[in-house]
Amino acid sequence: MRNRPQTIVWIPSFPPASHDMKTWFAMVPLLLAVQLAWAQSNDSAKPAKAPDPKVGAKAPGLKDFPPAKVDAGALPKAMVLVELCESGLSPDKNLWPESPPTGNERYPERAFALFRFPQRYIDTGIRADRPNPLFVRASAVVDLPPGKHRFLLRARGASRVTLDGKVVLTTPFPPADPGGHGTIKPPGQYLNLAPDFRFAPPGNREEVIEARLPGGPVVVVLETIVGGILGKSRRRPEPGETVVAWAPEGTSSWRLLSPAGETVPYTDEGWESYQAERNTHLDAVDASARASCRKSESEAMAGKRQADARWLAGQAEIALPPIGATGAHPIDRFLEARWNLGAAGQGSDAGEAVALLESKCFQCHAGTKAKGGLRLDSRQALLAGGDSGAAFDPAAPAKGHLMSRLRSAGDDRMPPKGDPLKDSEVSLLARWLGAGAPWAEPSAAAAKVAVTPPCDDLTFLRRATFDTVGVPPSEGEVRAYLASPAQTRRAKAVDRLLADPRRADREISAWLDLLAENPNILNPTLNNTGPFRWWLRESLLDHKPLDLMAIELVRMRGSERYGGPAGFAVASQNDSPMATKGVVLAGAFLGVQLKCARCHDAPGGGRQQEDLFALAAMLAGKEVTVPATSSVPADKLHAGGRKALITVSLKPGSTVKPRWRLDDIVPAASVENSLAEREKLGRLLTAAANERFAKVQANRVWRDLMGRGLVEPPDDWDRARPSHPELLAWLGRELVRSGHDETSLRRLIMNSAAYQRASDPALSAVDPLHRAPARRRLSAEQVVDGLFAASGMPMRLEEVSLDIDGVRDQGNSISLGNPGRAWMLTSTSNERDRPSLSLPRIQAVCDVLEAFGWRGARQDPRATRDDSPEVIQPAILANGTMGLWLTTLTDGHAATSMALEDGPLDRLVERLYLRYLTRKPTAAEAARLAAVLSPGFESRKVAGAPGPTGPRLPDPYVSWSNHLDPEATVVRQAQEARAKAGDPPTTRLEPGWRGRLENVIWAICNSPEFAHAR
Amino acid sequence: METHIDRRALLGTAAMAAVAGASAPARRRAEACIFLWLGGGMGQVDTFDPKAVGNGTRTGKPGSLYPSIPTTVPGVRVCEHLPKVAGIMERLTAVRSVNHKVIDEHAFATNLVHTGRMISGNVTYPSIGSIIAHARGAGAPDVPAYMLIGYPNVSRGPGFLGARANHVYLTDTEAGPSGFSRPATVDARRASERENLLAGLSADAPGGVPLAAYRQAQEQALRLSGPGFLRHFNLKDESADVRASYGGEFGQRCLLARRLVEAGVRFVEVSHNLNFLNGTGWDVHNEGIRNQHLLIRELDTALSGLVIDLERRGILDSTLVVVATEFGRPPEFDGRGGRGHQGSAFTMVLAGGGLRHKGAHGVTDDAGKKVLEAGVSIPDFHATILASLGVNPAMELMDGTRPVPVTDGGRPVEALMG
Repeated sequence: MRNRPQTIVWIPSFPPASHDMKTWFAMVPLLLAVQLAWAQSNDSAKPAKAPDPKVGAKAPGLKDFPPAKVDAGALPKAMVLVELCESGLSPDKNLWPESPPTGNERYPERAFALFRFPQRYIDTGIRADRPNPLFVRASAVVDLPPGKHRFLLRARGASRVTLDGKVVLTTPFPPADPGGHGTIKPPGQYLNLAPDFRFAPPGNREEVIEARLPGGPVVVVLETIVGGILGKSRRRPEPGETVVAWAPEGTSSWRLLSPAGETVPYTDEGWESYQAERNTHLDAVDASARASCRKSESEAMAGKRQADARWLAGQAEIALPPIGATGAHPIDRFLEARWNLGAAGQGSDAGEAVALLESKCFQCHAGTKAKGGLRLDSRQALLAGGDSGAAFDPAAPAKGHLMSRLRSAGDDRMPPKGDPLKDSEVSLLARWLGAGAPWAEPSAAAAKVAVTPPCDDLTFLRRATFDTVGVPPSEGEVRAYLASPAQTRRAKAVDRLLADPRRADREISAWLDLLAENPNILNPTLNNTGPFRWWLRESLLDHKPLDLMAIELVRMRGSERYGGPAGFAVASQNDSPMATKGVVLAGAFLGVQLKCARCHDAPGGGRQQEDLFALAAMLAGKEVTVPATSSVPADKLHAGGRKALITVSLKPGSTVKPRWRLDDIVPAASVENSLAEREKLGRLLTAAANERFAKVQANRVWRDLMGRGLVEPPDDWDRARPSHPELLAWLGRELVRSGHDETSLRRLIMNSAAYQRASDPALSAVDPLHRAPARRRLSAEQVVDGLFAASGMPMRLEEVSLDIDGVRDQGNSISLGNPGRAWMLTSTSNERDRPSLSLPRIQAVCDVLEAFGWRGARQDPRATRDDSPEVIQPAILANGTMGLWLTTLTDGHAATSMALEDGPLDRLVERLYLRYLTRKPTAAEAARLAAVLSPGFESRKVAGAPGPTGPRLPDPYVSWSNHLDPEATVVRQAQEARAKAGDPPTTRLEPGWRGRLENVIWAICNSPEFAHAR
Repeated sequence: METHIDRRALLGTAAMAAVAGASAPARRRAEACIFLWLGGGMGQVDTFDPKAVGNGTRTGKPGSLYPSIPTTVPGVRVCEHLPKVAGIMERLTAVRSVNHKVIDEHAFATNLVHTGRMISGNVTYPSIGSIIAHARGAGAPDVPAYMLIGYPNVSRGPGFLGARANHVYLTDTEAGPSGFSRPATVDARRASERENLLAGLSADAPGGVPLAAYRQAQEQALRLSGPGFLRHFNLKDESADVRASYGGEFGQRCLLARRLVEAGVRFVEVSHNLNFLNGTGWDVHNEGIRNQHLLIRELDTALSGLVIDLERRGILDSTLVVVATEFGRPPEFDGRGGRGHQGSAFTMVLAGGGLRHKGAHGVTDDAGKKVLEAGVSIPDFHATILASLGVNPAMELMDGTRPVPVTDGGRPVEALMG
């Protein structure tokens, strides 16, 4: 394509670009002496050998690695062609290959700038790993003007750049892991080539050169080796910031080298926006890759869908109750029917007493294997008594067996474990027994609760928005909502919200808890798993059918360290990982609690040890052995001389074969026996015939939206009784009918009158019959994300990693990326108490999250979080570092921009209320804030430029590699001090007035109202 | 923070005497615990369980790095860098026979020593601080039950006991307690302006029962952010002599711990792993060992300063001081003169708390690698701490509906139960 003669002169740049100054000075005379000319297109002639003094020991194999032969004509126009080459590299050595590897995946890029590759997906679209190391080649024809330009190469892996086949820039293989004993690079030693130069981010090597070009098209090839092994460390396959940038002659303005005729500044801001745009693009690329995987694998699922449909067709329809006063929505009909049942003359003592028995006694005294032969789960059984005779004498109930055991202070006290009954509870039972123990379904108890009217429109919008996307509605969303027709605005808002991808960021939290996702950024040991959060998030983004999601999880395939379901299989330092996973799966998908069964049979004739270990064996695909620790020694069983409450039915060392033993939930025969064990398990869990699965999922979604499950606790159905069995069954059927589509179920519930009712301020908890919701506290993530969203501040934290320069083994250190939402955080893992290993900004947010019930480490699954009020919650919001960031009017704060806009004060106050609380202020509130903010309001704006800024210096970084350098502690403490101080307030507002507005915002953010759903 | 007394915990005191099995008279229980954490793994042969001196090379003779010195307890010797502790040894017990099997990773062993339990995957166990906070509550109305001077992590957390049993933490003595120290930009006047605004907002806002409960917690939080609680953090209130007697930053943390205990905090964990003193903190691999003596001396000053000060103030018997670490270190040296990890025998130290101290408990072999007499498991060590604080080591906590004993079958060290 090019036939005219060209002359390129290489001139070394100053200051020395590479970290290796000696090498650079050594090459100066050589470079000045070289003048090269060639006239051929690079694929027809061998170019003259380019000088490369670094070829050798530091880049093994590079000397013999021929420049790639690139057919310039075949390159896409105005695009960089990226080729991912998965073979041809030595798997265990840092070596350039002997011949150029061929790409097995190609895609176009905008510029020579790589920080992320398209994700590899397998099976039904689950994340998987590419081979490590990976060879990457990026090529393009770039039209460059004549002149003396500078070029910069930056990369994490070994890399090189050729121009027209000539090697001009290289970076070496990454250094060995110094095990913490590396040094902090002083700010003065960073390459700094322009006033707005982007300093090298951690873990990259770089080189600069100056070249005189004749002008015209040049074939540019960037090659790099991603990942690889050094010493004992298999590096994470991250490209870091692999970039070729250039500064045209006469400028100090660096830009990404791009064939696209666009100028992408290579500055901090330019990079950030390039990255953001590319992330959006690559997210879409990944999504379509998943979709096509799923499509090509859809046959098997289609078979399942048909089987489910056949099953559904064979079932008698669940009849809907008649339409009542609350409307025609099926949910409201079911609920209203239940009220009428509950209202049939039951005394309130009865309901409360039965509820008490249910929560305190049923675990042992219900069902066919009740302790002491005494069942308390029906009036008849109670009257029949147990092995020691009558439980009570209706004539003198206070003297009976039951009451005396409840009142005992001795070893025979009931319940035998946990807190004794409160005095008020004991007298309630006495009173109730005295009345002849009239039986009532517990949930019919609170007869006094009145059905509340529909909530107002803004309350609905706030509730629905927090419930789906986890943040309050923006001002724009409020405006659009209020502007749409009143008749349909709620339904339209529901549709809009359910299609919003931010839903994944809200819904993922419950899954992380339920499935005990527990990655550790450092040395996984504490029952850690892989970070399968990324598979979860993609499943939610894709609105993946719930049955497929469960099946994928049980298959445990794909990437273990980078977010696939294989990460779920991991349980570090656990002597029976599959038993642990069995507990998780049974709780999450079947509502069967097998925690007890790890060591002993559940009391009261519950699940047996073998139920769990047979499940574990199905997951393992082979026989498993019961470890010694999964037991209770005899002396502990009989501690205190009591008769043992529990039985150990499997001795340590016993082996258990794969077998489905939960036939009471779904018979093993419901699926083909020829399937592999995991596959069989996946099918048994999700078959439509297994109504439990659909009901458990329906209950999870119901509980999430309505604040109380139809079954409580949601992960232990053996102990629970559904409050609305018909509704539950109907919801389960609807879920199956929709193809296990959670979105349909959410839409169904959110459009019911029940969901849209006003809350009853007198209730401390949701009415069990759903006549009225109670105000619930927001989840930890909603509090944090909500505050960030309302303040318009990005979550600017550290990268979630203690190995940000990527030198450690991938088995020991991972990166969870740059968090944009609260769920993306994890424990900061500073078990070592080293100040140099602290992550002060992440810690500031974790402090808030932990106070509100989030767990940074999830060693066990959780279906319910404790949301009781604790002093630390309002304290950390009021005084903590995160609170300070969000209540300081910095230049980036939304309220700063609002305050700088022209307009009356009451408009500003109203906007603040809408933004934070999704309502208008009352007249009294508006007046109170006006009194605070009106003095000085007219003169609040300060003209003039911001103050002078000092010289820009790079922020030295601390990573595991250098954290033992004493300087690391100094650097980290400075970072902590900066984190604690927060960004400075804006200079565009008069300080006194600004301070008062900050006080107002502080008060709004800290108001109990903000932290509670309306 | 709320004074929460568990009926069973109290009943436990009587039951405990039975567990302890002794005919001993009912001992007064300790009211507080100061738990000094030497992160990284304190080498017992270089501190409280000295052996013949080795020569510091991998191929050479294993043994202690430093000569030993006698103490006030006949027959009990410690390393030469612990002279002040040696002078009060009769008030302490170096439990030399602690042992466990988890030595490959710090976080794992740290978790074991804090929770007294191996990882199960079924339960997130509470730390010893959270257990005591839960069982005994705070000793005074407006202070937390459990405070930490160090970095938060799951091992120090409340596990299934939830946020109520969690610590309030600070990372150093200058930092102030997280959540209760106002930012520098908020002085008392501004704080009161803010609280007035907040009260006004709350008065008019749509309310309800859950909000009222939260508001109540908030009132306490704001009260705690005031001088009543924060004055305890003002070490300048102490005389120069007292401050000096505790030594450097670690000592000042110990002094702060004493002040907090006096204010009613039930359990204070103080971390000591300022790795910049010697590069690696107590995790003395390789060159990290060169300046290990600086850490030991710092510990010597702080620990002796604390014990003496507690005694002077008449609260040594009611305050249990624990020196804990995740594991010990072998007598052998690595390639650059440092040491690896050892769990088969290592030392943790107890002082005060009304225990019958005897300088040392348990015997290891001449190499310091094996326990010969009176082995103490981690559950036993926990049981001893709990017993000292009047918490029944067999007491059960509830993880939802599942009872979980506070120790994994631990029994208090009888010889120390006075």
